[in-house]
Amino acid sequence: MKTKLIKLCVNGRDYSVEVPHNRTLLQALRDDLKLTDTKYGCGSGECGGCTVLINGKDNINSCLTLAAEMEGKHITTVGGLTKNGQLHPIQQAFVELGAIQCGFCTPGMVMKTASLLAHNPNPSEDEIRRGLEGNICRCTGYENIIRAVQKASQMINASATQCAGGTCS
Amino acid sequence: MSSHMMSSRGLPEFELLIPQTSPEAMDMLAQHRERLSVLSGGTALWNYVRGRNRVTPYVLSLSALKGLNYINEIPGEGLRIGAKATVAQLIENPAVSAKYAALHESGYWFGNPTVRNMATVMGNVLRASPSADCSCALLALGCQVILQSKSGQRAVDIDDFWLSYDVTARKPDELAVEIRVPEPKATTRSAFQRLTRVRQDLAKLNVAVRLEMDRGVCQQARIAIGCVGPTTMRAEKTEALLQGKAINDGLLEQAAASVRGEISPIDDQRSTAVYRQQVAGVIVKRTIARAAAAKGASQ
Repeated sequence: MKTKLIKLCVNGRDYSVEVPHNRTLLQALRDDLKLTDTKYGCGSGECGGCTVLINGKDNINSCLTLAAEMEGKHITTVGGLTKNGQLHPIQQAFVELGAIQCGFCTPGMVMKTASLLAHNPNPSEDEIRRGLEGNICRCTGYENIIRAVQKASQMINASATQCAGGTCS
Repeated sequence: MSSHMMSSRGLPEFELLIPQTSPEAMDMLAQHRERLSVLSGGTALWNYVRGRNRVTPYVLSLSALKGLNYINEIPGEGLRIGAKATVAQLIENPAVSAKYAALHESGYWFGNPTVRNMATVMGNVLRASPSADCSCALLALGCQVILQSKSGQRAVDIDDFWLSYDVTARKPDELAVEIRVPEPKATTRSAFQRLTRVRQDLAKLNVAVRLEMDRGVCQQARIAIGCVGPTTMRAEKTEALLQGKAINDGLLEQAAASVRGEISPIDDQRSTAVYRQQVAGVIVKRTIARAAAAKGASQ
């Protein structure tokens, strides 16, 4: 099996990794880089468990992406949202509102939310429901997830307002 | 060695080719022909490969090719959709939503947001599946697929592009580079509708309609319908039925009956032949009515 040496940046850290041509990005993250926060669910783009961000805000299915095509790309996984041990507002909102039960869908759900809010900081409930399509949760019934996304949106916008007013460092 | 503990389902082995230029890609296509699959978004290809656990010896990635991810509106000519333009780009494009309603709606209902970020409009056409949503809208609007090889370029009309399930008019040494949709006239109206169980399912039925309307009278119609045969097909008898007539409830009922006689659906995991036969009439009727009532494109 032929391999390719790729350089990519994951969660702000640069990696060089030699991958077989048929290696998916998800396999490279989990098996080569040992970043197991991103989950494998269906392998067909229907469950969203493997959702990661590419170049800061676009969400993709890492199970349907070849690692060998990721040369020079910036990837963000849910582990990359936490800064200095502090949960990201999206993570905090998911915890506070009980949007997590078994937790398997949560990394993908949080990354899909990060992408949604990056493109639309104030989504309506309909926009949240449409925006999270493709990410399946078998525990929560989605209601608490919707509430958590609304709360995260408020938290991020409030902190942005504070920053604009010069009250944050 | 099997020491590696795989934590997710992998892909069968192949050699990945990543050409840096179009001429380089043409050379690879000419060299490997049927032994090569073209990869762009991956949402269709990898599902196809995983479903069969089989892949061609070579996979050609378009990832390094520049300048193919455009959607351009050319005044007086129409829409040009590059091979790497995604469905997400399609639905964000203001010209598409203003003037090509059926195409916009097909993208809006397509897959889910993540799949739309990856999947290309061209890939949807090349997959040659009768359930393909953008393909259904493109057949109703009419378009050409531009194919390029070392020996030159040719345009294939969408009506001649799908030969059967999973088979297109693309020759093995050709790269599909662009879709060209003709500019709508002031009289052109279009609409798309599909049926699924949940939103991100593949369609159990889809319909797209393009009408040329003059004061409530249909001068010309194109009706595309998917999931009722081996390829997305035109309902030509029903199109002829509408020609020169005012769109009213009586004509819509005739259209519904007509389209049921034109299709030959099958049972599969998403629906039954009996249901599709019945509901096709209803969806065609509603899609015609919605297109007829739509506003024309502002030129």
